[in-house]
Amino acid sequence: MDNDRWLWALGQEMARHQLTPDAVRHVVAEAAAHLRDSGQPALRAFGTPEGYAAAVAESLAARYGRPARPAPGRVRLSARGITKRYRRRTILRSVDLTVRAGEVAAVVGANGAGKSTFLRICAGLLAPDAGEVTLDGRLGYCPQDAGTYDFLLPDEQFVLIGAGRGLDRERSKQIGRAGAAALQWRPAAGVQTRHLSGGTRQKLNLVMASMGEPDVLLLDEPYQGFDRGTYLDFWQHVWRWRDEGRAVVVVTHLLSQLDQVDQVLDLTPATEGAAA
Amino acid sequence: MKILTVAEMAVREMLRRRAVLALLLAMPLAFYLVRRGDHVGQSIRFLLLGIAWAVSTASLFASGSSRPVEPRLRLSGYASHHLYLGRLAAMWLLGLVVAAPFFALVAIDHGDQVRIGAVALAMVFSVTVAAPFGLLIGALVPRELEGTLVLLVVVGLQMMIDPADSITRVTPFWSSREIGTYAVDHTGGEYLTRGLVHGLVFTILATALVALLSTARLRVRLRAATSA
Repeated sequence: MDNDRWLWALGQEMARHQLTPDAVRHVVAEAAAHLRDSGQPALRAFGTPEGYAAAVAESLAARYGRPARPAPGRVRLSARGITKRYRRRTILRSVDLTVRAGEVAAVVGANGAGKSTFLRICAGLLAPDAGEVTLDGRLGYCPQDAGTYDFLLPDEQFVLIGAGRGLDRERSKQIGRAGAAALQWRPAAGVQTRHLSGGTRQKLNLVMASMGEPDVLLLDEPYQGFDRGTYLDFWQHVWRWRDEGRAVVVVTHLLSQLDQVDQVLDLTPATEGAAA
Repeated sequence: MKILTVAEMAVREMLRRRAVLALLLAMPLAFYLVRRGDHVGQSIRFLLLGIAWAVSTASLFASGSSRPVEPRLRLSGYASHHLYLGRLAAMWLLGLVVAAPFFALVAIDHGDQVRIGAVALAMVFSVTVAAPFGLLIGALVPRELEGTLVLLVVVGLQMMIDPADSITRVTPFWSSREIGTYAVDHTGGEYLTRGLVHGLVFTILATALVALLSTARLRVRLRAATSA
């Protein structure tokens, strides 16, 4: 990796760590100056761009603290006493979750803990055996899989979702393509959804969920198949949505980002309780 | 607008399934050719049944492919009726496109021996009934293999049952058979009337059941927050 490429990668990684453009410019310029003066290759001087960006981000956070965020707003989603049984097995036992505008909630738990079931209940697609879900605002839902038509083009999927949201065709395509570009994906003309890779299909799935500016976003493990860069970009989106005042619920089994969400709902104990 | 978008996308999706389209055309053609040497009436009645089977099978599969996507569409601003009416409109359009070349075939092959206008009407009714019937089977039997077998049983019964038996009246494609008989055997107008009434009633009933099942399956169970 030559120095220019390394510096570009450093800038990308720092942006993913939510550093301000000024801070990114400053750090990249300092690193470039050091490399120029020392004549060293960047990898030897600083290590990988990912590692250096993480170290810088940590150091800046320790010095200045995390940037202030607007206070959470009104309650957008409220799930109270949600219980769900399949035959004799209790999947969810009296689960509560309240998410306000400007908050991110992560739903975690082992396989079979009922994460997707809980999200489907929050979306209103599944009736709980007990409890109630109250929604304030417009909902965007990203299912874990199978949320797209195999034989349609990505643009057509955007038009289909856009029409439901009251958008015209051109606006729908525009919004869809912009969402795709933000996830580093440019839909090729004439390629049907069935020919997309698993990760790209998930990007399509995610873009469709976020169309129409929903107030509440329910995302069921939407990053499956994403490469590392796209995964980090995905979390950038989540934080941007949060900062725009949306309520976001993400089902996840990856714990690396949990320190950056506002609340974590762990469904594992409910399963253990049911199994006991 | 929403119904039209759903219909458009359903047609686009179906048109890209080239093998399905080829089979949609091959099935009625095979039915027609296999009885062509016997009797004009039989070949046309089999052709009508072939069209009905092809269209209902296509509707069944369209129903199956949209089943996993519909909940998301429902949450994206569509009402249930946008979804099933859009799909129904697409299947009607596709069915008429499939039927058109067969109408031309009959007109060229036997145009001087039959009431050609009534043949056209019988084909229209084959399509009209078959589309909601396929969607209904799709709504009742979610797995495609089971649904296909149900259609096979229905069409098999329709083929084998004695036309004089009154039980034929409860079979879905009896209307096109009656209109077809009027067209090829030059019978009285009562055949035409019976066929039209049966076709309309069956179409309305099947569509109503599809509406009922879709609305129940896609209902959103959320309480809207009341403003403070």
